[in-house]
Amino acid sequence: MQLEKKMDWLKEQFQKEEWSPYVAGALLGVVGILAVLLSDSLLGASGAFENLAGAIGQTVAPQLFDNMYFNYVMRPEITWSGVLLVGVFLGGMIGAWSSHTWKLRLNSDEQWKQVFGPSWPKRWLLAFFGAIVLEIGAGIAGGCTSGLAISGGMLLAPAAFIFIGAMFASGIATAWLVYGRRF
Amino acid sequence: MLNYFLALVLGLFFGLSLQKAGLTKYHKIVNVFRFTDFAVLKFMMTTLIVSMTGLYTLKWMGVITLPAAPATYIVGNIIGGLIFGTGMAFSGY
Repeated sequence: MQLEKKMDWLKEQFQKEEWSPYVAGALLGVVGILAVLLSDSLLGASGAFENLAGAIGQTVAPQLFDNMYFNYVMRPEITWSGVLLVGVFLGGMIGAWSSHTWKLRLNSDEQWKQVFGPSWPKRWLLAFFGAIVLEIGAGIAGGCTSGLAISGGMLLAPAAFIFIGAMFASGIATAWLVYGRRF
Repeated sequence: MLNYFLALVLGLFFGLSLQKAGLTKYHKIVNVFRFTDFAVLKFMMTTLIVSMTGLYTLKWMGVITLPAAPATYIVGNIIGGLIFGTGMAFSGY
Protein backbone atom coordinates (compact mmCIF):
# COMPACT_ATOMS: atom_id res chain seq x y z
CA MET A 1 0.00 0.00 0.00
CA GLN A 2 2.74 2.36 0.97
CA LEU A 3 4.72 1.49 -2.16
CA GLU A 4 1.66 1.96 -4.33
CA LYS A 5 1.22 5.46 -2.98
CA LYS A 6 4.83 6.25 -3.72
CA MET A 7 4.47 4.96 -7.27
CA ASP A 8 1.37 7.10 -7.76
CA TRP A 9 3.24 10.10 -6.51
CA LEU A 10 6.12 9.42 -8.90
CA LYS A 11 3.73 8.98 -11.80
CA GLU A 12 2.02 12.23 -10.93
CA GLN A 13 5.36 14.05 -10.86
CA PHE A 14 6.37 12.51 -14.17
CA GLN A 15 3.18 13.73 -15.82
CA LYS A 16 3.65 17.32 -14.73
CA GLU A 17 4.33 19.64 -17.63
CA GLU A 18 7.02 21.59 -15.87
CA TRP A 19 9.39 20.68 -13.10
CA SER A 20 11.24 23.02 -10.85
CA PRO A 21 14.48 23.96 -12.65
CA TYR A 22 16.33 22.83 -9.51
CA VAL A 23 14.91 19.31 -9.82
CA ALA A 24 15.50 19.08 -13.58
CA GLY A 25 18.98 20.57 -13.16
CA ALA A 26 19.85 18.06 -10.44
CA LEU A 27 18.73 15.25 -12.78
CA LEU A 28 21.10 16.52 -15.47
CA GLY A 29 23.85 16.78 -12.87
CA VAL A 30 23.41 13.08 -12.07
CA VAL A 31 23.42 12.29 -15.82
CA GLY A 32 26.69 14.23 -16.12
CA ILE A 33 28.26 12.19 -13.31
CA LEU A 34 27.04 8.90 -14.80
CA ALA A 35 28.46 9.85 -18.21
CA VAL A 36 31.94 10.13 -16.67
CA LEU A 37 31.52 7.12 -14.38
CA LEU A 38 30.08 4.69 -16.96
CA SER A 39 31.35 5.97 -20.31
CA ASP A 40 34.32 8.17 -19.41
CA SER A 41 32.65 10.80 -21.61
CA LEU A 42 31.43 14.35 -21.25
CA LEU A 43 27.96 15.52 -22.21
CA GLY A 44 27.90 17.82 -25.21
CA ALA A 45 25.59 18.86 -27.99
CA SER A 46 27.28 21.13 -30.53
CA GLY A 47 30.23 18.89 -31.38
CA ALA A 48 28.14 16.10 -32.88
CA PHE A 49 26.70 18.53 -35.43
CA GLU A 50 30.22 19.33 -36.59
CA ASN A 51 31.07 15.65 -36.94
CA LEU A 52 27.88 15.18 -38.92
CA ALA A 53 28.53 18.27 -41.05
CA GLY A 54 32.01 16.92 -41.75
CA ALA A 55 30.61 13.55 -42.82
CA ILE A 56 28.10 15.16 -45.16
CA GLY A 57 30.64 17.70 -46.40
CA GLN A 58 33.29 15.11 -47.22
CA THR A 59 30.78 13.24 -49.39
CA VAL A 60 29.32 16.30 -51.13
CA ALA A 61 32.39 18.53 -51.44
CA PRO A 62 35.44 16.44 -50.49
CA GLN A 63 37.99 19.12 -51.39
CA LEU A 64 36.33 21.86 -49.37
CA PHE A 65 36.16 19.65 -46.29
CA ASP A 66 39.63 18.14 -46.65
CA ASN A 67 41.30 20.22 -43.95
CA MET A 68 42.91 19.91 -40.55
CA TYR A 69 39.70 20.66 -38.71
CA PHE A 70 37.49 17.99 -40.25
CA ASN A 71 40.30 15.45 -40.65
CA TYR A 72 41.64 15.61 -37.13
CA VAL A 73 39.76 17.89 -34.73
CA MET A 74 36.17 17.00 -35.61
CA ARG A 75 36.35 13.72 -37.47
CA PRO A 76 33.48 12.85 -39.83
CA GLU A 77 31.92 10.00 -37.92
CA ILE A 78 29.05 9.10 -35.66
CA THR A 79 30.42 9.85 -32.23
CA TRP A 80 29.31 9.07 -28.70
CA SER A 81 27.74 12.51 -28.47
CA GLY A 82 25.99 11.91 -31.82
CA VAL A 83 24.17 8.98 -30.26
CA LEU A 84 23.60 11.09 -27.17
CA LEU A 85 21.78 13.65 -29.34
CA VAL A 86 19.41 10.99 -30.65
CA GLY A 87 18.65 10.23 -27.02
CA VAL A 88 18.14 13.92 -26.25
CA PHE A 89 15.62 14.20 -29.08
CA LEU A 90 13.71 11.12 -27.93
CA GLY A 91 13.94 12.20 -24.28
CA GLY A 92 12.39 15.54 -25.17
CA MET A 93 9.57 13.72 -26.96
CA ILE A 94 8.99 11.48 -23.94
CA GLY A 95 8.88 14.57 -21.74
CA ALA A 96 6.19 16.15 -23.91
CA TRP A 97 4.22 12.92 -24.24
CA SER A 98 4.25 12.30 -20.51
CA SER A 99 2.53 15.62 -19.87
CA HIS A 100 0.20 15.23 -22.89
CA THR A 101 1.55 18.42 -24.45
CA TRP A 102 3.15 16.77 -27.48
CA LYS A 103 1.86 18.42 -30.62
CA LEU A 104 3.30 19.44 -33.97
CA ARG A 105 3.47 23.20 -34.12
CA LEU A 106 4.93 25.59 -36.67
CA ASN A 107 5.28 28.46 -34.24
CA SER A 108 4.09 27.96 -30.71
CA ASP A 109 5.66 30.69 -28.67
CA GLU A 110 3.27 33.47 -27.68
CA GLN A 111 6.05 35.81 -26.63
CA TRP A 112 7.79 35.38 -29.99
CA LYS A 113 4.58 36.26 -31.80
CA GLN A 114 4.15 39.40 -29.73
CA VAL A 115 7.60 40.59 -30.67
CA PHE A 116 8.02 39.43 -34.26
CA GLY A 117 4.46 38.85 -35.47
CA PRO A 118 2.53 35.69 -36.31
CA SER A 119 4.57 34.55 -39.34
CA TRP A 120 5.97 31.04 -38.87
CA PRO A 121 8.46 31.10 -41.79
CA LYS A 122 10.00 34.14 -40.15
CA ARG A 123 10.33 32.19 -36.91
CA TRP A 124 12.00 29.30 -38.74
CA LEU A 125 14.32 31.61 -40.67
CA LEU A 126 15.42 33.51 -37.56
CA ALA A 127 15.86 30.28 -35.63
CA PHE A 128 17.94 28.84 -38.49
CA PHE A 129 20.08 31.97 -38.72
CA GLY A 130 20.48 32.14 -34.95
CA ALA A 131 21.44 28.47 -34.80
CA ILE A 132 24.17 28.97 -37.42
CA VAL A 133 25.61 31.86 -35.40
CA LEU A 134 25.35 29.78 -32.24
CA GLU A 135 27.12 26.79 -33.77
CA ILE A 136 29.94 28.94 -35.15
CA GLY A 137 30.38 30.45 -31.69
CA ALA A 138 30.44 27.00 -30.11
CA GLY A 139 33.01 25.86 -32.67
CA ILE A 140 35.33 28.75 -31.85
CA ALA A 141 34.88 28.55 -28.08
CA GLY A 142 35.31 24.78 -27.96
CA GLY A 143 31.81 23.84 -26.85
CA CYS A 144 28.28 24.97 -26.14
CA THR A 145 26.13 25.36 -23.04
CA SER A 146 26.37 21.64 -22.30
CA GLY A 147 29.76 20.67 -23.71
CA LEU A 148 31.70 23.64 -22.38
CA ALA A 149 29.68 25.54 -19.76
CA ILE A 150 28.34 22.49 -17.90
CA SER A 151 30.82 19.71 -18.72
CA GLY A 152 33.76 22.08 -18.42
CA GLY A 153 32.34 23.77 -15.36
CA MET A 154 31.91 20.52 -13.46
CA LEU A 155 35.62 19.83 -14.05
CA LEU A 156 36.39 23.38 -12.93
CA ALA A 157 37.87 24.34 -16.31
CA PRO A 158 38.49 28.10 -16.51
CA ALA A 159 37.26 28.05 -20.13
CA ALA A 160 33.75 27.19 -18.93
CA PHE A 161 33.43 30.21 -16.67
CA ILE A 162 34.94 32.57 -19.23
CA PHE A 163 32.46 31.19 -21.77
CA ILE A 164 29.46 31.56 -19.44
CA GLY A 165 30.38 35.20 -18.82
CA ALA A 166 30.77 35.98 -22.51
CA MET A 167 27.61 34.10 -23.42
CA PHE A 168 25.50 36.03 -20.93
CA ALA A 169 27.08 39.37 -21.86
CA SER A 170 26.23 39.05 -25.54
CA GLY A 171 22.92 37.33 -24.86
CA ILE A 172 21.82 40.24 -22.70
CA ALA A 173 23.05 42.76 -25.28
CA THR A 174 21.23 40.95 -28.10
CA ALA A 175 17.99 40.66 -26.14
CA TRP A 176 18.27 44.35 -25.30
CA LEU A 177 18.66 45.23 -28.99
CA VAL A 178 15.82 42.96 -30.07
CA TYR A 179 13.40 43.98 -27.35
CA GLY A 180 14.26 47.67 -27.20
CA ARG A 181 11.80 49.47 -24.96
CA ARG A 182 10.09 46.20 -24.04
CA PHE A 183 13.28 44.86 -22.42
CA MET B 1 28.39 -1.05 -28.47
CA LEU B 2 27.48 -0.87 -24.79
CA ASN B 3 28.99 2.58 -24.77
CA TYR B 4 26.61 3.73 -27.51
CA PHE B 5 23.68 2.21 -25.67
CA LEU B 6 24.71 4.17 -22.57
CA ALA B 7 24.91 7.33 -24.68
CA LEU B 8 21.35 6.75 -25.86
CA VAL B 9 19.99 6.16 -22.36
CA LEU B 10 21.88 9.11 -20.85
CA GLY B 11 20.66 11.23 -23.77
CA LEU B 12 17.06 10.27 -22.97
CA PHE B 13 17.42 11.67 -19.47
CA PHE B 14 19.33 14.69 -20.77
CA GLY B 15 16.45 15.51 -23.15
CA LEU B 16 13.85 14.78 -20.49
CA SER B 17 15.46 17.15 -18.00
CA LEU B 18 15.66 19.95 -20.58
CA GLN B 19 12.07 19.46 -21.68
CA LYS B 20 10.70 19.27 -18.13
CA ALA B 21 12.58 22.43 -17.16
CA GLY B 22 10.88 24.15 -20.10
CA LEU B 23 14.21 24.92 -21.77
CA THR B 24 12.86 23.80 -25.14
CA LYS B 25 10.83 27.01 -25.22
CA TYR B 26 11.95 30.25 -26.85
CA HIS B 27 10.72 32.52 -24.07
CA LYS B 28 12.52 30.55 -21.34
CA ILE B 29 15.87 31.08 -23.06
CA VAL B 30 15.37 34.71 -24.03
CA ASN B 31 13.87 35.80 -20.73
CA VAL B 32 16.97 34.89 -18.76
CA PHE B 33 18.73 37.57 -20.81
CA ARG B 34 15.92 40.02 -19.98
CA PHE B 35 16.16 39.18 -16.26
CA THR B 36 12.49 38.16 -16.17
CA ASP B 37 12.85 34.36 -15.82
CA PHE B 38 15.90 32.77 -14.25
CA ALA B 39 15.02 29.13 -15.01
CA VAL B 40 18.05 28.70 -17.30
CA LEU B 41 20.43 30.00 -14.66
CA LYS B 42 18.82 27.97 -11.85
CA PHE B 43 18.98 24.87 -14.04
CA MET B 44 22.61 25.36 -15.09
CA MET B 45 23.89 26.20 -11.64
CA THR B 46 22.08 23.25 -10.01
CA THR B 47 23.54 20.92 -12.65
CA LEU B 48 27.01 22.32 -12.03
CA ILE B 49 26.81 22.06 -8.26
CA VAL B 50 25.44 18.50 -8.32
CA SER B 51 27.88 17.22 -10.94
CA MET B 52 31.02 18.89 -9.62
CA THR B 53 30.27 17.70 -6.07
CA GLY B 54 29.60 14.17 -7.30
CA LEU B 55 32.61 13.99 -9.60
CA TYR B 56 35.11 15.33 -7.10
CA THR B 57 33.73 13.04 -4.37
CA LEU B 58 34.12 10.03 -6.69
CA LYS B 59 37.62 11.17 -7.57
CA TRP B 60 38.49 11.56 -3.90
CA MET B 61 37.17 8.04 -3.25
CA GLY B 62 39.40 6.79 -6.04
CA VAL B 63 36.50 5.47 -8.13
CA ILE B 64 37.18 7.59 -11.21
CA THR B 65 39.90 9.61 -12.85
CA LEU B 66 38.57 12.86 -14.28
CA PRO B 67 38.51 13.09 -18.09
CA ALA B 68 40.42 15.88 -19.83
CA ALA B 69 38.62 19.18 -19.30
CA PRO B 70 37.78 21.42 -22.28
CA ALA B 71 40.82 23.50 -23.21
CA THR B 72 41.16 27.07 -22.00
CA TYR B 73 42.28 29.57 -24.64
CA ILE B 74 40.99 32.85 -23.29
CA VAL B 75 40.53 34.88 -26.48
CA GLY B 76 38.83 32.00 -28.31
CA ASN B 77 36.59 31.21 -25.35
CA ILE B 78 35.52 34.85 -25.10
CA ILE B 79 34.96 35.47 -28.82
CA GLY B 80 33.20 32.14 -29.22
CA GLY B 81 31.06 32.85 -26.18
CA LEU B 82 30.10 36.30 -27.48
CA ILE B 83 29.04 34.88 -30.86
CA PHE B 84 27.28 31.98 -29.16
CA GLY B 85 25.22 34.24 -26.89
CA THR B 86 24.05 36.30 -29.85
CA GLY B 87 22.82 33.18 -31.64
CA MET B 88 21.23 31.87 -28.48
CA ALA B 89 19.25 35.07 -27.85
CA PHE B 90 18.15 35.14 -31.50
CA SER B 91 17.05 31.56 -31.92
CA GLY B 92 15.94 30.89 -28.38
CA TYR B 93 17.51 27.44 -28.24
